[in-house]
Amino acid sequence: MKRILGCAAIVLFLGATPLLAQSIGDNEYEKGKTLYKNKCQFCHGMRGDGKGPAAQSLLMHPEDFTTPEFWQDDIEKKITVEQKIENTIKKGKEMMPAFNLESDEIKAIILHMSNTFKKKSQSNNLGRDEK
Amino acid sequence: MIGEKPRKVFFLLIIFFLLIVFALLQILPLNTAQAVPSFQRQTGISCNQCHTVFPELTPFGRIFKLGGYVMSKTGKSYEFPPPVAGMVQASYTNARGLTSGVAPFDYNNRETDGLNLPQQLSLFYGGRIYDKIGAFIQGTYDGATNKIFLDMTDIRYANNTMVWGKNLIYGFTLNNSPSVQDVWNTTPAWRFPFASSSVAPTPAAGAIIDGALDQQVGGIGAYAFWNNLIYLGVAVYRSADEGIALPLSAGTFTEQIVDGTAPYWRLALEHRWKNHFFTIGTYGMQTDIFPSGNSSGPSDRFTDIAFDAQYQYMGTIEPEDIPGVDDAHKAKAGKYMITAHATWIRENQDWKASFPLGNTANRSDLLTTFRMNLNYYYRSPLGDIGGSTSYFSTTGEADSLLYASNPVDGSRTGIPDNDGFILEASYLPWEKTKISIQYTIYNKFNGASSNYDGFGRNASDNNTLYVVIWQMF
Repeated sequence: MKRILGCAAIVLFLGATPLLAQSIGDNEYEKGKTLYKNKCQFCHGMRGDGKGPAAQSLLMHPEDFTTPEFWQDDIEKKITVEQKIENTIKKGKEMMPAFNLESDEIKAIILHMSNTFKKKSQSNNLGRDEK
Repeated sequence: MIGEKPRKVFFLLIIFFLLIVFALLQILPLNTAQAVPSFQRQTGISCNQCHTVFPELTPFGRIFKLGGYVMSKTGKSYEFPPPVAGMVQASYTNARGLTSGVAPFDYNNRETDGLNLPQQLSLFYGGRIYDKIGAFIQGTYDGATNKIFLDMTDIRYANNTMVWGKNLIYGFTLNNSPSVQDVWNTTPAWRFPFASSSVAPTPAAGAIIDGALDQQVGGIGAYAFWNNLIYLGVAVYRSADEGIALPLSAGTFTEQIVDGTAPYWRLALEHRWKNHFFTIGTYGMQTDIFPSGNSSGPSDRFTDIAFDAQYQYMGTIEPEDIPGVDDAHKAKAGKYMITAHATWIRENQDWKASFPLGNTANRSDLLTTFRMNLNYYYRSPLGDIGGSTSYFSTTGEADSLLYASNPVDGSRTGIPDNDGFILEASYLPWEKTKISIQYTIYNKFNGASSNYDGFGRNASDNNTLYVVIWQMF
């Protein structure tokens, strides 16, 4: 009986772990989505294409996250694209101000951007290759 | 009773104290992006991003305002410390008939004293209140009248979405002055000149929408800006002399009591071509106002229809163009800027209550106002330099009872006409400090060029030299 209960506990634990991980990931994604909407979307747009409501008023065009070029690591500076985004959020770039966000908030934004716009950039890239 | 000599020493001490405060404001680390003014502190971007030269807005400044003043660099839903800022204006006015004392200290003549220390002292709540609700609330002490009152106030909720594949910013506003919610500097609340003397004589005639209801009404409105192209705003106003709107007129005596509600509308089209921004628009209001001294019974009707246009050029530069400036955001905000504004307002005045009472000579009158100005700004390594020129005119029908003869502010002919020019030069040694010299030239004042008031005063006697130091902190 004890063995059966032990096995059942192991099975439940193993089964729940991915679900738990997915739930945490979902929460992180939703948090990132909300933060993106509140902090980034006004300039970079809902679609991440750099065409937010404020884009037209800026003298420099906001970054377009839907291009494959944006998602390339910075080889010269030897940093990954995620580090590049984090640095930009923390320090600002050109017309973009520095944001005073917590590390977990920045990670959540990057997760949202990666899941939403990186995929779009890959499909954009496929479209280019097909042409 | 203070003697003449001690009084001079007292004023010199005050000037010395103001200069010390002024110097400290520049030395202390308040001038960084982490300090006040509150919008700058909240967003982390420099003043230059939103203003060509304050308070005139850049295209981005307009969007920031439409967005509800809530753009913030933090991840929280509120701002701590609260977004509070301040402003002080000290001015000197030279026009015929002004007294030589210093307002507000000269108790007997403060409303005619040429030296105003301060002219205005304001405290702002400027920024996010919570989440998508933000505000621009100004409380002011006026040196000439020695009064504290709630000045320009605009509290709004704003959001944005996509409609037909294009961006839509929309929101709601609660404010206390028609057109204070507008984002183009052509409409009355935020028009040129952005600062003017509070003691110099001004023409008698003016349209109701042209500032007559400022801080005397409470209004709610909604607006939408679609695809950075079409802006539509509507609002309704009612007198803030009683009821829940009363706080919106705090400290201001309600001279114009509105009968019922007054609808206000605004439509504008904006187009960008490279760094050129063009806007044309219309705005207006229909207001029923009780005759002076009445708060019930029949009322007069004022129908204001206005057209306006704005052109703005934002010349860019590279950060390296300004030696020693490490703030790329500031440098990229524009180096050469030109802004041109034009406004035409036609007011139909139906004196259906005042005429039977014998307050006006005509059953109805027309009043037409036209203004245009051209501003040029240059961001030099030593500070921002600007120059403005403006033409203004008001024409209307003669009404000997409405515009009666009176020394200085009256009209011998009963004609409300006036026209003239304003020349202004500005220098901003720092982002938040503005020094302006302004000269107003009247060709015609209250209907005539010479002896306009019937007491021998000429229009040119009202030509005004005005020097103002304007410090934000």
